[in-house]
Amino acid sequence: MKSLGGMKFAEMVQMGAHHLYQNAAYVDSLNVFPVPDGDTGTNMNLSMTSGAKETEVQAQEHIGKTAQGLAKGLLMGARGNSGVILSQLFRGFGKAIEKEAEIDAIGFADAFQAGVDTAYKAVMKPVEGTILTVAREAAAKAVEVAQDEDDIIVVMEALVAEAKASLARTPEQLPVLKEVGVVDSGGQGLLFVYEGFLASLKGEPLPQKNESSLDDLINAEHHRVQDFMNTEDIEFGYCTEIMVRFESDKEPFDEEQFRQELNPMGDSLLVISDDEIAKVHIHSETPGAVLAAGQKYGSLIKIKVDNMREQHSAIVGEAPVATVPKVEKHPYAVVTIAMGEGVANLLRSIGASYVIEGGQTMNPSTEDIVKAVKEIGAERVVILPNNKNIIMAAEQAVELLDIEAAVVPTKTIPQGMAAILAFNPEVSVEENQASMVDSFAHVKTGQVTFAVRDTSIDGVEIRKDEFMALAEGKIILSTPTMMEAAQTVATSLVDEDAEIVTVIYGEDATADEATQLAAFIEENYPDAEVEVVEGKQALYPFILSVE
Amino acid sequence: MSIEIHNEFGQIDISNDVIAQIAGGAAVECYGIVGMASKHQIRDGLTDILRKENFTKGVLVRQEGEDLHIDMYIIVSYGTKISEIAYQVQSTVKYTVNKTLGMSVKSVNIFVQGVRVMNV
Repeated sequence: MKSLGGMKFAEMVQMGAHHLYQNAAYVDSLNVFPVPDGDTGTNMNLSMTSGAKETEVQAQEHIGKTAQGLAKGLLMGARGNSGVILSQLFRGFGKAIEKEAEIDAIGFADAFQAGVDTAYKAVMKPVEGTILTVAREAAAKAVEVAQDEDDIIVVMEALVAEAKASLARTPEQLPVLKEVGVVDSGGQGLLFVYEGFLASLKGEPLPQKNESSLDDLINAEHHRVQDFMNTEDIEFGYCTEIMVRFESDKEPFDEEQFRQELNPMGDSLLVISDDEIAKVHIHSETPGAVLAAGQKYGSLIKIKVDNMREQHSAIVGEAPVATVPKVEKHPYAVVTIAMGEGVANLLRSIGASYVIEGGQTMNPSTEDIVKAVKEIGAERVVILPNNKNIIMAAEQAVELLDIEAAVVPTKTIPQGMAAILAFNPEVSVEENQASMVDSFAHVKTGQVTFAVRDTSIDGVEIRKDEFMALAEGKIILSTPTMMEAAQTVATSLVDEDAEIVTVIYGEDATADEATQLAAFIEENYPDAEVEVVEGKQALYPFILSVE
Repeated sequence: MSIEIHNEFGQIDISNDVIAQIAGGAAVECYGIVGMASKHQIRDGLTDILRKENFTKGVLVRQEGEDLHIDMYIIVSYGTKISEIAYQVQSTVKYTVNKTLGMSVKSVNIFVQGVRVMNV
């Protein structure tokens, strides 16, 4: 092809835009620079789509005018860094040929070069190893080839080959890419556009994505996950990769269906497959289930499972970054204190906006409470200490907070639960305080805990390591058997009027023991409804709430 | 003027100039921005592009309680989509300050003080 006109150029643009559109998600997944927010592909695609639309509207035999259309569409639709750069590349391209009805190979190559010059002018400190580098090196190659070659297709081929090579070199130029193990996302997006141009010129189908790209995807995915996470926030702890070779006597493989199957097992799911093999990457808490799912279709020819919690603490230990876990905002909040994850979840489930994990041994300070209230952005707050030793700290927190705040002096978890249930977000802090204090007045609390030394309290002889039964905070019995202590607490608190009894069992009691205790209460007090909750609290094998 | 960070070992003071340098440095690497401008253009001489040592004139850092607010005065390249470039600066500055100082930036406010026409 010796010369290029506007109509053909418009076709090339459509093809380039289409190829980018098809691969936008892949480009997104490579995005780690300058901000790893995974939107490069989306942004480039939106920009290019806008450019392609305008090109279509303005398409005519005159290539200069057609290219002006592309430049205008890109400028109007530019999104993101990469989109803006794309618009500059084609602004320069269009400007260089605006007066030409058709261009030859030299004009074609020079136009790419002019685009690069324009794009470089709009940046103070060009970062190498990005879309700019790929565009520059590819254009330079085209100019070089055009000197002794008058076929536009050959020039475009050289340009695409150089863009590919340049993209492969980006990790050497930009440290963050090398660290993560990916190529530059913007450069990859530009390559897709150029590949589309070439396919259109040659009248060939678009190239398929190569299979080795899964490694890039995995690397970028891991980088993003690490960047915004604390070790304790990792929900799915095992990075699991498998490769399945299909076998004729197993189930026929369908990629989409397989994705659906794996989706509930974790996140960061990546699947690519061809006729013979599927490669899978997923972060899951149940790697075994992933392996089993793959085996349905054939044999596992590669398996890798890494514990990310271990790796992550090591990596983050070196990184001087303090990330803050995301906290939901609550303008009108109930902040409470709990010991044990189960109790914390229980309190959240009935309406606590924020639970500070403290408890008997590590009571939160005034500062901890103030910080929690600020963190959730509360404008009005009610604080429930759930422990008599924390009431003071909570009162002081109210002094320090310059928002409407009040303490409801709950001394136990059951009292706290009753108070949370009485919270009404429609009324003032004072009104809530009054109604919440009333609400736990009729809640009785029983506890079973261990004695740490020989002593005598409330007239009860206590020996070290025995179980103490406490009803409403008073010791009523000390005994070597836990269940006896628990049953004693139950009988002293539960009576004919009791409607609801909640058994919260801790780290030192089993689910079976809790069920036994519940059965004992139901047997003796058929009118009471008994609920069993796993509280995972330390020190108190059982906490009973009776209303 | 400095920002204070408290942790269990004591206190860290980071001067506003440091934050301004980091934010300005991140901004000038953004595509489409040709320089930082001074907040007081009249007083400091018209639409001069600030050199690195003067970034503080074009970057204002405020601390309100735990929150950090940054105002930036920039000059952009003609023929680009300015709204997009401003957005890129916001997101890059927020990310970079958070990465390097471990502080969360509540807001980044962009003031476009000028447009530079390049000799294309």
